[in-house]
Amino acid sequence: MSDKLRVLLVEDEALILMQLETLLEDAGHVVVGTAMNAADGVALVYETLPELVFIDLRLGDGSSGLDVARAVRDLDGITAVFITANTRQLSGDLEGAAAVIAKPFSGSVLEETVAFLEQCVRNPPPMMAVPHGMILAPAYQASWAQAAG
Amino acid sequence: MEREDAWRLTDQLHAGTGKGDPFAAAVRGTRMPMIITDPRQADNPIVYTNNAFLAMSGYDRDEIMGKNCRFLQGPDTDRAAVRQIRDAVTSNRDIAIDVLNYRKDGTSFWNALYLSPVANEAGEVLYFFASQLDVTDRVDAHLRTQQEKEHFEREVARRTRDLSEALAAKTMLVHEVDHRVKNNLQMISSLLALQTRTITDPAARASMESMLSRVEALGTVHRRLYQSNNVERFDVTEFARDLATDLVRGSGREGIRLHFDFEPVEVPVAKAPPIALMMNELVTNALKHAFPDGRPGRLSILVAPDDKYFSIKITDDGVGMPVPVEISGKRSFGKRLTETLARQLNASISWQSANPGTTVHVSLPRESAVSSET
Repeated sequence: MSDKLRVLLVEDEALILMQLETLLEDAGHVVVGTAMNAADGVALVYETLPELVFIDLRLGDGSSGLDVARAVRDLDGITAVFITANTRQLSGDLEGAAAVIAKPFSGSVLEETVAFLEQCVRNPPPMMAVPHGMILAPAYQASWAQAAG
Repeated sequence: MEREDAWRLTDQLHAGTGKGDPFAAAVRGTRMPMIITDPRQADNPIVYTNNAFLAMSGYDRDEIMGKNCRFLQGPDTDRAAVRQIRDAVTSNRDIAIDVLNYRKDGTSFWNALYLSPVANEAGEVLYFFASQLDVTDRVDAHLRTQQEKEHFEREVARRTRDLSEALAAKTMLVHEVDHRVKNNLQMISSLLALQTRTITDPAARASMESMLSRVEALGTVHRRLYQSNNVERFDVTEFARDLATDLVRGSGREGIRLHFDFEPVEVPVAKAPPIALMMNELVTNALKHAFPDGRPGRLSILVAPDDKYFSIKITDDGVGMPVPVEISGKRSFGKRLTETLARQLNASISWQSANPGTTVHVSLPRESAVSSET
C-alpha cells in the first residue's frame, strides 16, 4: 500500500504497545520502532525518522514523553500524538504535538484516530471529522488554515 | 504675673495666698499625679509637683523641681512619642499619649500623659499642666492581647498551610489513582482486543467483542469522571453522547444515524458505572436487532430529568422487536445483565413499539444511593 505510514511507538505498557502495534499494522501501516522510555524514544526518532509518533506521557524509568515530543518538534515533517491518562498535565500548545488521545480509548476511537492522522500526514487538511476521543492542538489546526489560505 | 506668684500658686499654696483656695487644695490632694511646667523659663522646668506624682515616680520634690521632664524617659521610651510631646509643647497644643516612663529606681511604667497649655487672657501660655496615670496594667494587657492575637494568627496560618499541603497531597493521590485506573482499564481492553483477534469461531468472537464493548463502556465512564471539575457528580448526557457515538462508529454501520435529545442530568458518580453498562447493553442491542442485514436507520437517544427521576429513552426505527429476543428459552447474558443492573439502580425498564421500531424506556431515581455498595 503506497499510503502506508512509517510509525514510531513510545509506550511503556506492554499490552497497550501491542494493541497499538497490531492495530496500525492491520490498518496497513509500518511500525518502524517501539520504545518504552524517553531516551530510547528520542534515539529512535533520529534513527528511524518516522512520519508519525505515538507518545505516552508517562514513560518507563520515570521518564517523560514530553522529552520525546521536544525531539520531534526539532525535526521537520514528523507528526507527534500524545496518548495519556492525564490530559491535564499537558500545556495548551501540547509541546508541538498535533493531538492528544485520552486513555482509556476504545478500539474504534483508535481506528478513527489512525485514519484521521493518515489524512493529516498525507493530505492535510483532513476531510473527516475529528474523532470524538481526540483533542487537536490549536496550533496544528491553525497550520492547515494557513496552508489553505 | 511674676515668677514668685507662680510659685505661690502651686507649691506654696499651703501657706500664704492659696491656703484657702479649694482648687489648689484639690490639686495638692488628688490621687492623680500632676505637675506644672513653665515654658517661659529656659528648658521648660517643673515648677510644681503634687505628692501623687512624687509617689508614682519615686523622686523627692527637691530632686525634680526646676528640671525638665525628660528625666522620666529611659532606654525603651518611644522616641516618636517624645517627639510628639515636644511638638505639642512647641506649638502650644494639648496632647494625650501613652508613653513609657522610668521611676527613680529604674523600673518602667506606662504613663497615660495628658498635657495642656494654660494661657492668660492675652493668650500667652504661662504654664503647661500635666496629669499622668500609671496605666501599665492596661498597656500590658493590651500588649498581651496583641501578642496572643499575633500568636493565634501565626498558628492559623501554620494550620492553613498544613491543610493546604494535605489537600494538595490528597488531590495528587486522587489523580494518581485515577491515572492508574484509566491505564489499567486500557490494559484490560487492549488484552481483550488482542485476544479477540486470534479467535476464529464466530460465536466465541462475538462474545469476546461484547465483553470488550462492556469494558470500553466502563473506560468511557472513567475518562469522563475527572474531565469536569466536579468529582462527585456525573453528567449522564455527555457520557451518553460519547458511548453511543463510539458504539455506532465501532459497529462500522455507516447507515445508522444518531440523534440526541438531551437535557442536563447529573447523578452521583457511584451510579455512573451501572448506568454506563446498562446503556451499553441497550444501544448494542438496538444496533444488533433493530437493523439487521445492514438495514439503515435512525437511533435516537433521549436523556431528560423527570422530577426525582430521570429518563433514558432509546428509540430505533428498525424492524421492531417482538419484545427482547430470548434465545432457546434461556435469558441471554445481556438481558440478565440489564435486569440486574436495573435492580441495582432501582430502575424500571419497558419496551414499547414505536411504529416503526422500538422504544426502550428506562426510568431511574436521580439521587438515592445504589442498592449495592460499589
